[in-house]
Formats: sequence, structure tokens, C-alpha cells
Amino acid sequence: MDFSRRSFLTAMGLGTAAAVAGCATTSPSGSSAADPTGPVEGDITFLCALFEGATGKETLEGNLLKQFNEKYPDVNVTVDYTDYGSLNEKITTGLASGLMPDVVTLGVGWIPPFAFKKAIAPLPESLATRYTYEERVLEPSRFDGTLYALPMVLDTRIVAYRKDFFEEAGITGTPQNWDELREVAKQLTVKEGGKVTRVGFDPFSIDLRQCWETFLFGNSGELFSADGRQVLFDSPEGVASLQIFLDMMADGSADFAVSTEAGQPTTLQQGTSAIMMTNNSLYVQLQQQSPELVDKIGTFVLGNTNPAMLQGGTMVSQSASSKNPAAARALVEFLGSPDAVLVASEQRGSVPAISDLKDSEYVQGNPMVAFALENLSKARSEGGTPAWMEIREKIKPTLETAIVGQQTAQQAIDQLAGIANDAIGRL
Amino acid sequence: MLMVAPAFLHALIWIGIPVIAAFVLSFTNYDVLTQPRFNGIQNYLDALTDPVFRRGMLNTLVYAFFTVPVAMGIALLIALMLDTQLRARAFFRTAVFIPQVTATIAVALVWLWIYDPRNGLLNAVLGFFGVPAQNWLSSTTWAMPSVIAVGIWQGIGLKMLIYLAALQSLPKDVYEAASVDGASKTRQFFSITLPLLKPATFFVFVTSVISAFQAFDLIYILTDGGPANTTTMMTYEIYKSAFREFRVGYACAQSIILFVFLLLLTLANRRLNGGDSGRH
Repeated sequence: MDFSRRSFLTAMGLGTAAAVAGCATTSPSGSSAADPTGPVEGDITFLCALFEGATGKETLEGNLLKQFNEKYPDVNVTVDYTDYGSLNEKITTGLASGLMPDVVTLGVGWIPPFAFKKAIAPLPESLATRYTYEERVLEPSRFDGTLYALPMVLDTRIVAYRKDFFEEAGITGTPQNWDELREVAKQLTVKEGGKVTRVGFDPFSIDLRQCWETFLFGNSGELFSADGRQVLFDSPEGVASLQIFLDMMADGSADFAVSTEAGQPTTLQQGTSAIMMTNNSLYVQLQQQSPELVDKIGTFVLGNTNPAMLQGGTMVSQSASSKNPAAARALVEFLGSPDAVLVASEQRGSVPAISDLKDSEYVQGNPMVAFALENLSKARSEGGTPAWMEIREKIKPTLETAIVGQQTAQQAIDQLAGIANDAIGRL
Repeated sequence: MLMVAPAFLHALIWIGIPVIAAFVLSFTNYDVLTQPRFNGIQNYLDALTDPVFRRGMLNTLVYAFFTVPVAMGIALLIALMLDTQLRARAFFRTAVFIPQVTATIAVALVWLWIYDPRNGLLNAVLGFFGVPAQNWLSSTTWAMPSVIAVGIWQGIGLKMLIYLAALQSLPKDVYEAASVDGASKTRQFFSITLPLLKPATFFVFVTSVISAFQAFDLIYILTDGGPANTTTMMTYEIYKSAFREFRVGYACAQSIILFVFLLLLTLANRRLNGGDSGRH
């Protein structure tokens, strides 16, 4: 057998064409919309960013999926576990290889990008009224008014504070606006030998993107216009929501270097902060690591002109290219039911997305989850534009440039707005 | 030709096609979700004007500039030490090589603990000598040096092994002749050892530069490219573009730019050093 230069180039050309064509033909936009009216049967895959660890696996496969199979014995569910950080990669590679899972968990803000590109299938509106949902909870599940996902668990970003530190400082109420927050944080900051040993406020223990968004919403700001095509955060409210961190750092009551390290007790637990931005799952952490602090830590919703908390979470959606759409739809509906939602929330200390579960034993026994559920009317979600997946990655590093003093808050917000406008322009 | 067919097919399927596909896709707006559309050189223009990717290029150059020569120097030094009749030299050789075969994830996690600002080993040791604690990975001043230090430490093993193999293959008679002529050990090192190690040095340099330009996992675990993009690298930006932002066409263009970078560096090095032939 002899390989000439021409045959080599021909092979390379054909291979490239096949590879490029292969990429193109796997596009879900080319597939027909999943028809969920067929028989509920067949093999389906579930890409799952919940039910972590051995306990989670046992909860899902040993409990929930058994219940599901009792109802749908002809459906075989294969679970592909992942963590939230790798979820995006799993979906990308699944889409590129034409092996998009039939059912996927998605984060808040992810629905518009995937729905816009027709990667996920619309769900009937009746599922939105099947159980009691706070309207704020369903907002991130929709795109262009159509329901594309069912919320499972919520993870709200709230403010937690040390009641004992407040008491020591003679502070009787929680701050109601940013001016009060700054004053209280200054009062609570402790210096020993010229060195800050306790910051009054720790905004940096949660993702800076989510922290800034919480402040933006609390300052009556918006990320994008309702149609997701216009950037709105480059407003005085948006700049002020970043500037407040710089002001507090200038006060000495916040420090970029003082934040919770991964896998370690929070700064609030360690006593190196008096107030911190946190997640409602803190309560579970307190029970496990610092039970003596459970009664010493309180929570409040912060706002400047508008009390707001950020609502993250995990939703479940159906792939638009599923070969067994009826089975996939059945699993989505099952995972969005109170039984599954409650178990998933309990396993990770999250807030159940269904309001009726507020009377459950789990919610009643977790003050931070109960607090979040009570305040869901103040919850706001990130995202809102089909370009979100691109924009969200740029927010934290761009805001950090202001935090570390490389540019001003106005410059950082302007830069971010430019990036966001470019991303939206590419849609 | 039939005998090379398996290797040829392997190279074609796993290297040739992906490279050409990446090149073709770099001229499209491919986003995994929809059909790719040709957009000319827009991705290249975007990449070359993107301040974050440019920062990634600069960081990559800085990382390579410090990790490659420093690690090569240390590796050569250790190889020279281990090429003697040292007691327990097998143990030392293994100890030096272990970081190379340890999963980078595990290595990075250990270094995360070492660099931990409150409970880390480094600050504890420095504190013993009265040096104030530093935020090694969240400071714009210290994050890059901290990453470089891990990169140097991890890269020594393989370089040492190559140098050690090269040292053991050097002809003994040349050294004997030099000794007879009265050449000191230092003179022998600079006039015999270093020139004869030129092919090995060329190989170590090229592979080290490529490895440094492909630094990814350390950044992924240690800093996530932060703070404020001070430790982001070209490969990390490529990964983010493709897997987090769904801009696969753009990521392909960034990959081609990285490829051109490496190609130019390798050619320049080949020209400067007279290739791997050992000529000088």
C-alpha cells in the first residue's frame, strides 16, 4: 500500500469535513422537538449535580428512583453524577458529542441560553401551577414566557451576623440600609496592635459575582432589560453596588484577604468577621462544626433602597434531543414533585422550591431555610439573557480588578458592560 | 509504508483531524448548540484585542520564563548530585521524581493547604521567624509567584531524570583525558559536561516550554485564574471559552494562537541552539 501526498491530503480533507460535519450534525437545533406524548419507556440518562456523595447516591437511586420505577417500570434511568463546577463542561461535551443527557440539572440563569439555542424542551404551563410556587422562584425557569424547567432546590444568599458581637457592641438592631451597614461594620471591627483581627463585614466569602448582584438588587438595580438584550447594570446603582465594597475596605471594616477558605469554617464561625454574606446552607455547617454557635448567629435580608436576597438554585429540565421524551418528561415531573424536592433539599441544607413545604419537619427544624422561604418574595435571580453563560464568567474577574485597586468601580462596571454588550451582540 | 499505517492512522485520527478541524472551526462562530457559521478572522481579532486573553498570554510568558530555566537549573544540579556514588541515591532519585508522577490535583490540594493564609504551613514557618503572614493565592502580588513556585517544584523530577540519563551516557574517556591535562572539575563541567548535554538541554527546554505553555490544572485548582486575572493562562482562557462560555470557535482561534506561539518558540530555540544535533 502506498500513500502519496495527494492521497494523504485527500484523507485529511475528508477527515476534517467529517469532523466538522460531525460537530454540526450533533446540534440539537437540527433535531425535532422532543415529543412527550409517546409511551413512557426506554433508557434515559440523568445528568445530576445534586445528591452528592455516597449518601446522595443512596438517596437518589435507593429511594427516589425506586419510587419512580414503581410508577414507570419500563423506564431505565442511568445517573451521571457531577458537581456544580463541572456541570457546564458535562453539558458542553454532551452536546458536542451528540450525547446530551435526556434530563439535566441546570443552574439559575442557565435557562435562557439553553432555551434560546433549543437545547432544552419546553414544558407545559400546567406544571407551573401543579404545586404552590412563589412567582420569583419560577421566573428563572422561563424563557420568553415559556416554562422550560422545574425548580428543585434553592440556595439563597443572605446576611448572617454574630448576635453576641452585636450585643457586646451595644447594637440592638440589624442594619436597614448601606449607611447603617457601614456604621455597624466600623463599630464591630476589632484591631489589635494595629492589625485587624475581626472585620465588621465579610462580603468576600461568597462568589463576588453573586455578592455584587445581591447588592445591585438591593439598590433597586437590574442586570438586563426584560428581553435580555440590553445591559442595565451599568447604572449609578450598579457602580454604587461595587463602590460600597471599596468604601468598606477603605473604612477598614472589610478586607479582600479575609474570607472563608474552601472546606474550612466560615469567618463568622472563626470570629474573624461579625457580619458576612453567606448561603442558607450555613445552618447545616453550624450544626456539624460549631453547634455552640447555632443560637448566636442571626440572619437578615439586606437592602439599600429595596430589601433583596439573591436566589440561586438547581432546576431540572428535559433535553430537546431526547430519544425517549415521554420518559424524560416523566422523570422531570417526578424530580419536581414535593417528595423529591424535600429529600434533595434536606440532603444538602437547601431551600425547597415548593412553598407548601414550609410546614415540613425539615424546614421547621432549619431556621435559615425557614427564613429564606419566608422571604422568597424578596428573592431575585441572576441571568435573564441568552448570553448569560458567557457574561457570568467575566463578572467576577472584572469586578475583582476594582477590588484589588487596578481600576475604579466605574471603570470596572464600564468594562463589564462592554463585555456584556459584545456577548449580547453576538446572539 | 504498510508498516507505518497504524501509526499514520493514529496520528491522522487523533492529531491530524482534530488540528485541522480546530483550524477550520476557528473561522466560525461554532458554539456547540447551533450550526457553525463562517465569520472570517473575527475570532482572531477578538482574541488579540481581548484584554483578558492578552493578560493570559503575558502571564503564560512570565510563568514559562521563570519555571523553565529555574527548574532546568535545579534539575541539572540535582542530576549532577545524584550522578555520584551518593548513599541512598535511589531513594533521593525517587523522592525528586515523585511530584512528576503524582496527580496534579493531589499536588495542588497539598499546596492549597501549604498556602492557606490562616492555617497553612508556609505562614506558620514564616511566622516562626517573625515574618508576617501573606495571602499567597488571593494577593495580586503573591499569587503568580506562588503558582510559579509550585510549577518549578513539580517540573524538576522529569527534567532531572532526563539530565541524569544524559549524564550517565557521557563518554568517560573525555573526562579522563581532561583530568590528565589538569582540568579542574569546574572546568570539566563548563567545557565538557554542558556542551555534551546540549541535545538533552534542547529536548528538556522544548518539552518544558510546551509544558509551561499548557499549564492548566494548577491554575484550575489553586487560583481559578484570579485574583483579577493575575494568574490566568492561555490554556485556562481557552478552556473557559470552550467549556464555560460555549464559544468553541473562539476557543479554537485561541488554540491556534497558542500553537503558533509554541511553534515560533521552538523554531527560535532550534535556530539559536543549532538544533538537537549537539553541534556548536
